[in-house]
Amino acid sequence: MRRQSNRLGEGGIIDRSKPVTFTFDGAPYQGYQGDTLASALLANGVTLVGRSFKYHRPRGVLSAGSEEPNALVELRSENYREANTKATMVELFDGLSASSQNRWPSLRLDFMSINSLLSPIFVAGFYYKTFMWPAALWEKLYEPAIRRAAGLGRAAQGEDPDHYEKATAHCDVLVVGGGAAGLNAALNAARSGARVILADENAQLGGRALDDGLPIDGAPPVQWIDSVREQLEREPNVVVMRRTTVFGVYDTGTYGALERVSDHLAQAKHGFPRQRLWRIIAKRTILATGATERPIVFGGNDRPGVMLASAFRTYLNRYGVAPGRRIVVFTNNDSGALTAAEAALAGLEVVAIVDSRRGLSAEISKAASTAGTRMISGGVVIDTVGKAKLSGVVIRTGEGEDVRLSCDCLVMSGGWNPNLQLTTHLGGKPTWNDAIAAFVPGTHPPGMSVAGAAGGSFGLKDALDEGAKAGSEAVASLGWKVAGPASPRADNQPYGIRPLWLVEASKSKALVDFQNDVTAADIALAAREGFQSVEHLKRYTTLGMATDQGRTSNVNALAIMAKATDRSIPETGMTVARPPYSPVAIGALAGHHRGKSFKAVRRPPSYAWAKANGGVFVETGLWLRPAYFPKSDERDWFETVCREVKTVRSAVGVCDVSTLGKVDVQGKDAGEFLDKIYMNGLKTLPIGKARYGGMLREDGIFMDDGTIARLGEHHYFVTTTTANAVKAFQHMEFCAQWLWPSLDVQLISATEQWAQYAVAGPKSRDLLRKIIDPEFDISDEAFPYLQVGKITVCGGIKGRLFRLSFSGERAYEIAVPARYGDALMRALMDAGQEFGVCPYGAEALAVMRIEKGHISGPELNGNTTPRDVGLGDMIAKKKDFIGRVLGERPGIIDPDRPSLIGFRPVDKNMRMRSGAHIVPLSAPATAANDQGYLTSVAYSPTVGDWIALGLLKRGPERIGEKVRAVDPVRNEEYVVEVVNPCFVDPEGEKLRG
Amino acid sequence: MANTQWVAASAFVEWRDIPGSSVSVTRRDDLTMANLGVFEGQSDKVLEVIRSAYGIDLPRTPKIVTARGTSFLWYGPNQWLAVAAREQNRDLELELEPLFSGVASIVDQTDARAVVEISGHRARDVLAKGVPIDLHPSAFKTGDVAITHASHIGIVICQMDDNPTYQISMFRSFADSFAEWLFHSCEEFSN
Repeated sequence: MRRQSNRLGEGGIIDRSKPVTFTFDGAPYQGYQGDTLASALLANGVTLVGRSFKYHRPRGVLSAGSEEPNALVELRSENYREANTKATMVELFDGLSASSQNRWPSLRLDFMSINSLLSPIFVAGFYYKTFMWPAALWEKLYEPAIRRAAGLGRAAQGEDPDHYEKATAHCDVLVVGGGAAGLNAALNAARSGARVILADENAQLGGRALDDGLPIDGAPPVQWIDSVREQLEREPNVVVMRRTTVFGVYDTGTYGALERVSDHLAQAKHGFPRQRLWRIIAKRTILATGATERPIVFGGNDRPGVMLASAFRTYLNRYGVAPGRRIVVFTNNDSGALTAAEAALAGLEVVAIVDSRRGLSAEISKAASTAGTRMISGGVVIDTVGKAKLSGVVIRTGEGEDVRLSCDCLVMSGGWNPNLQLTTHLGGKPTWNDAIAAFVPGTHPPGMSVAGAAGGSFGLKDALDEGAKAGSEAVASLGWKVAGPASPRADNQPYGIRPLWLVEASKSKALVDFQNDVTAADIALAAREGFQSVEHLKRYTTLGMATDQGRTSNVNALAIMAKATDRSIPETGMTVARPPYSPVAIGALAGHHRGKSFKAVRRPPSYAWAKANGGVFVETGLWLRPAYFPKSDERDWFETVCREVKTVRSAVGVCDVSTLGKVDVQGKDAGEFLDKIYMNGLKTLPIGKARYGGMLREDGIFMDDGTIARLGEHHYFVTTTTANAVKAFQHMEFCAQWLWPSLDVQLISATEQWAQYAVAGPKSRDLLRKIIDPEFDISDEAFPYLQVGKITVCGGIKGRLFRLSFSGERAYEIAVPARYGDALMRALMDAGQEFGVCPYGAEALAVMRIEKGHISGPELNGNTTPRDVGLGDMIAKKKDFIGRVLGERPGIIDPDRPSLIGFRPVDKNMRMRSGAHIVPLSAPATAANDQGYLTSVAYSPTVGDWIALGLLKRGPERIGEKVRAVDPVRNEEYVVEVVNPCFVDPEGEKLRG
Repeated sequence: MANTQWVAASAFVEWRDIPGSSVSVTRRDDLTMANLGVFEGQSDKVLEVIRSAYGIDLPRTPKIVTARGTSFLWYGPNQWLAVAAREQNRDLELELEPLFSGVASIVDQTDARAVVEISGHRARDVLAKGVPIDLHPSAFKTGDVAITHASHIGIVICQMDDNPTYQISMFRSFADSFAEWLFHSCEEFSN
């Protein structure tokens, strides 16, 4: 294990009593609890951490935060592997394994770095220009090859083993960012008693106040930060969410946030997710997201060892790490002085301060004299020296002289950009502020105010004061009583920026967008080629399109483009952002809802019994219905389904039909209501009887069907199909509430109240006689076809009996309260043994309804009318109902429309398949000759061969005709005969018993 | 006729009780429920009947009121759900029907809805993982009712006490999907 050569003897808020071991590219290192991967690597003198995306240039750590474009690593291994993780945001834990990406065979010796030598070819737009022809090769050759060469890390191949959650939080005030402004805003807001959420993306609160170490109330800032944190954590109305990035702003005060619950641990604790996606609903929001330092664009500015000046202070103050020992400071504003002073204080050698501003800055002079260092006023760094590690810089002095200085770290400050991204998510436009040479928030999303550096106030005192004011005002605007804003003492720091957007004297590659490898020359090329609008610039060069959203590059690029096209920066454009502010794992967006939990499943009352008895299930909407019940000696589903059909037709079978929608309709206008929503008359239905009902859409097309039973003078019980249950109930509610609010009708969904089983077959009554309490007479005289009534079972359990049949056999539907559904199924199976009972599923149900020519989903397909499916006679003539008027349109009643009819193959061995189209015998199989298609096909064990229902032009008039079934999908063609669609017992004798 | 006593099955097939001080979860299979839907122009009559039979006023806003062992939840305009423990074979449909003939529809919902209770000082944290509404005491109090959803499943939630205890009901067939989400969401708080 190597010594932590760059760890300072003291300082930082790391826990030096807790050493942490980790590996990078297989080599073991040690850091401390509280380190990030970046700070620990720097502490160990590791400056080369990755290769750039396009040119494979060596890269080190540029920043200390979520804006990092360089230090992207692969974390963990196998299915836990996570590519493109920012080393600056990774908290160190024992056993962490990280590796560099986009290099081969190794980080130090990367063959693809030849791209850098070829870079005159690989300019912006290179791919578009070069791989234009032949177009066919783009997908097959060019893109895969380019993707392999370009570096985006490797995604894990298997299923993500981590768990994720989604949650909602509500508050009066959401404070985004826990630096000086945010902490003070939260504190001032919380004092009122209002509900406050403070979210900060780091593990430690404090933001730049902690990074910079400037005194608050005359003491090191950590004291004030800790005391505020403690106060906030004591308040029951405050939630402090650390490691939480607010990444998006949505309508009506909704914010998206990602909490990294377990990313800082080797393994998530039992029961805890890896990450939690928060939807935060806030009445007011205070944006206190601070600012991001801009790099300076000069030759070789991406060499490992070149770092943002503010990041250097972060490593010193937070982590006790010196990223270098001999430092050159390059700045265009006074904040660079801070780094020089801090470095000198830490005992590091400050080789020179290069200030691009001409004329002495008091702040810089003071820092130079404190550090005892050389001042180069009006000078610029034009190049860097070294290979994979900085060894020196070339400076052009104010007098035009080139000086070479040796150093191992160059820190740069090109000024600051307010982190205003969230203000633009709802379309807000930033405005340019010349005084600070930066964009500041323009219009804010409703309910949002901005405090501190996020609004362009870079001083510590301003941040604290504005935070206090924003916190007080936010709660006051919500009606909370609040004392005046209170802030601790602190000073503002001079800024004095004079922009330096590009060091034009540089000859070598000057990077603007580090993550996507876009250089100043690329921007100049875009300008020359006419891609001058900011949107064109972005798309042509890919600038700002990497996962860092161009946080260190956008404004520099705009300024360079402005200069190249002789416009001002605001004239050139502005940068707005879309969510997410930083990347969000897809797993977090899915949360709990993946795999088996992707969506809810509805289980019918016989589910447990069916599962225990080998039932095979099929999804019908959300429902899981038994499809069939195989016996151990059966070869396949076909054999099982045939056996189930034969059993029903010869003895008795039981099928769970609880999934049908059930609606209890009551009120003195219930009959009239049903008359209006069904095409056939129901008001005339006698009490104790059931009738088929067809429900139409307003346009006359069939919507749903079912049975309507009349249980009392003002009491009906309606069933719908399983698939349309929710839609039909909504339709009924809509009609009752909006179309005819004056009708006295009450609708209650009773779908789930009843376990309802079809008991079908010649022995069905005999079986039910053993189940239904003896005082109920179910003889054919007392209980004929379409009779309904209340019954009891098992000595008093309330139930209902309906004599209905979908199979064409003597059949009943028996209903008991759903909690007895399991018991009823067991009782039916026990009692039915002597009759040879079997359970049957949705498959046998479907076979039998096809045998009877009953319509179902394939015929009620949203295109058919009652006439099309042979129910035209049922349409009432003397009443009004939904669908009546538009159902009489000429096109709807055209006798040429395809209508329901049956089909049998002429060659009895031929298997028909649904979907085949019908054409006349001698006509070519073209769309012009298409006369309909097969909707439902089954093998009928009763008939002994394949049968089909279908829709055929003038079908009922063509019985006996032979036509061709053409199936271009399966490449089949066969002759079929048009037959009566009722294949079994057309007179209905079995039905009535 | 079957000669064995039928056993009532729980809607929650794959269930485990979660006991604990921070959050506990129990299923309520012991309730009887009936929906009360007022016929046109009969609201005053319904209020009067309930007042004389149970000594309480039906809530006109999303609230739950309880008296004489019977709770009434606001369930929509002119609709309430009556809920009681199924002691001594109590059956609210049979109990209410004779009181409201021609005045309101009474529909048995005992089996239509599966019910759970979630209790403890972390109950809100559990529910935040699936319920989108604000359950903070300043927004949702004991006696409050909301018709909302949990984990994409439609629910009716009411707060029963300040513990807090929440009673949540959903259509019966969703019970196991709901429970699967609930167990998952409780895990970090269970001992």
